[in-house]
Amino acid sequence: VKAAHIGEQLAALREAGALLRERPPEATLIALADVLDSWRDPASTWRRALEAELPSVSGFSPEVVREGLRLGLEPWTGDALRALLAHEIGPPSGGDGRDFVSGFDSTAVVLAGAIPMTTLLALIAPLALGSPVLAKTAAHDPVTARHIARSLAERDPLLGRCIACVDFPSREDDCVEALLAADCVVAFGSDETIASIRARIAANRRLVAYGHRLSVAVVDPTRLPEDALRDAAARLALDIALWDQLGCLSPVAAWVIDSDGRAAPRFSEQLAEALAELAVKLPRGRVDPAAGTLASHERADAEMRAAAGAAVTIHTGSDGGWSVISESDASVRPAPLHRFVRVHPVSDRAALHGALAPLSRHLAAVGLEGFGNATRDAARELAGLGASRICGLGHMQSPPLSWRHDNRGVFPPLARLARLEDPR
Amino acid sequence: MSAPGPDPRRAEIDRRVLDWLRSADYRQDDARFEALARDLFAFQFEHCAAYGSFCERRGVTPATLRDWREIPAVPTGAFKELPLHSFPAECEIKRFRTSGTSTAKPGTLHLDTLELYEASLLPTFRRHVLPDLTADARLAIRVLAPSPEEAPESSLSHMFGVVVRELGNEHSGFDVSKGELRCDSLYAALEGRAAAGEPVLLCGTAFAFVHLIDDLERQRVRYRLPEGSRLMECGGFKGRAREIPRSELYARLEDGLGIPIEHMLNQYGMTELGSQFYDSVLAQPTELRRKLGPPWARVAIVDPDRRTAVASGDVGQIVVYDLANTGSIFAIQTADLGRPVGDGFEVLGREPGAEARGCSIAADAMLGERSS
Repeated sequence: VKAAHIGEQLAALREAGALLRERPPEATLIALADVLDSWRDPASTWRRALEAELPSVSGFSPEVVREGLRLGLEPWTGDALRALLAHEIGPPSGGDGRDFVSGFDSTAVVLAGAIPMTTLLALIAPLALGSPVLAKTAAHDPVTARHIARSLAERDPLLGRCIACVDFPSREDDCVEALLAADCVVAFGSDETIASIRARIAANRRLVAYGHRLSVAVVDPTRLPEDALRDAAARLALDIALWDQLGCLSPVAAWVIDSDGRAAPRFSEQLAEALAELAVKLPRGRVDPAAGTLASHERADAEMRAAAGAAVTIHTGSDGGWSVISESDASVRPAPLHRFVRVHPVSDRAALHGALAPLSRHLAAVGLEGFGNATRDAARELAGLGASRICGLGHMQSPPLSWRHDNRGVFPPLARLARLEDPR
Repeated sequence: MSAPGPDPRRAEIDRRVLDWLRSADYRQDDARFEALARDLFAFQFEHCAAYGSFCERRGVTPATLRDWREIPAVPTGAFKELPLHSFPAECEIKRFRTSGTSTAKPGTLHLDTLELYEASLLPTFRRHVLPDLTADARLAIRVLAPSPEEAPESSLSHMFGVVVRELGNEHSGFDVSKGELRCDSLYAALEGRAAAGEPVLLCGTAFAFVHLIDDLERQRVRYRLPEGSRLMECGGFKGRAREIPRSELYARLEDGLGIPIEHMLNQYGMTELGSQFYDSVLAQPTELRRKLGPPWARVAIVDPDRRTAVASGDVGQIVVYDLANTGSIFAIQTADLGRPVGDGFEVLGREPGAEARGCSIAADAMLGERSS
């Protein structure tokens, strides 16, 4: 791909976008809702094609891709899209006629990672506002964006003209410059990537950036019967296994309220049993040597601490395919990902707040279990730490469309909003 | 320097290791390595309780050991958690701390002698950095790192201090002070040696060299250092300067200093090790660039899950077995990736700007951010 080609694509997209904005917004919304509903259908051509192609390019196992898509797409209905747009922006042709909402003339989406749910919403949201999209595909997933683009074109040729995908290495500066000439830029990636993009965009241009995040689980087993605790561990294991713990909604560690020194180790055992079962049902995908080395290093580190007398227990699959480290204290430790989870004891909610404080700048979701009547208070404290989702275990990988990713709404950051005020 | 700890077994092991380090015998003597490795493992198994327990959990004891490659390796991270030494605490004469730039907590190496460290360092340094110089030759060594007086707990500064003391001439010195690269003193020294037509050895951390090229380019200064000048860099970048690929760093240093790339080498070492490894480029200029070390330190590149050696050309985790580590732990599991290359190895870094597969941030990166 040459920079000039990207410039031409942006120009063509702007032309198509103008046509898109000329037609009633309801028509676009109906088409997008249909596309979402079709992606939810396991028999849809596009879903099946993605399930077939994504494993080899991304490294995820076919089982993880299938189950991740099934659970992730479940709440993403066409109706949910309509409801969210109405809630955040107002009905397409409703209101008192004094609010004006428009998408940008063009939106560039810089994709990252290989988790397709992020890509789907990132491409559909600007279109719902009438903004055409130029997507730079991620190195580990060149397929999802293209399948989404084809599904849009099949349902609605004009929408098909309003989306294009480009694929070039991020080090090609002239291509990056051409891409960032879009009127609005949505970027996903590490803090380093986001900083690099931010530095290239003029201050008066719209940049909607989503940096890398992490999630955790918090469990209070005090009032949970044994069966319920085992079930909670199984649901947490699913949250960990999906997308091999690489997503920002994947829990990297669990904190367990533990007043007698037994609850956290017990929960660790149950979690280990559940991860062992999932290793068969949802096999872990490819692990690059760097990630394997980090996990091996952290396991050996835990072994050394245990050997020195710390109350640390290591549970691990025979091939290193999963690891649960039952820690002796609440301190945050490195998270190698790829199904490596630590379980920390913590004495009470006040101590929990202190333990999670170092994560606050990067916290995304918290899976919460066992807090009963204290759930709302605990959630308030977690929200104060920066969490944008607080949900039950087993649901961490299936956020609603309305999830306030990075504590923001979905549509307002992508829109130009104005209101004609009443005469005074 | 002090005598080794009072344990007679330890003293005997130190004596045997020092005999090798100080001899001219640089051959890969497998039998000698095996015998010393077994005795050192047995000693450390008994005298470092945490390590002994760790080995028992792995099912490896001196009685069951079949091959030195089975000796359990301690992860470098454990030096952040535990005092890992095989001598009584009261015998400690020196401690080195890791930089702590990649995680919040630095690690500590406790030492009861510096004799082995220095005896391992000097012949290996000469062989790989100054192979063309006679044994008694001294040259101007400019160090882009703080002096040992300024950074007494830095093994890197100690190493450079020993190198300057033993191999440097009167024009040698340290050009980092109070965290700043002192370009004025460095440039004055370089100009002096250039005028005299005498070669210079520049040593330092990679991030210090990034600051140097930034300054050279900002000031539009270009040196043409005399023939025979060379440059050795060591260490990473994380949290200290922007990260640039080594090939780019070397190319820009060649442009700014006039030292050819084939006279630039990387040293691979770490606080937890008594020995270091060097690019072979000066010692074996006609052969493939790879890391080589002394015969008393061996490297295994292993599959991180199975802990077995990877095939030649495959990527794995670097494990170092170093006989110079008599007071701490012989077998060290690093967090670095490597690839076997002939009789040596290659250290692989994460390519700057490489994309992740997911959108989760590993908690160590987050913690590193806090500490930087």
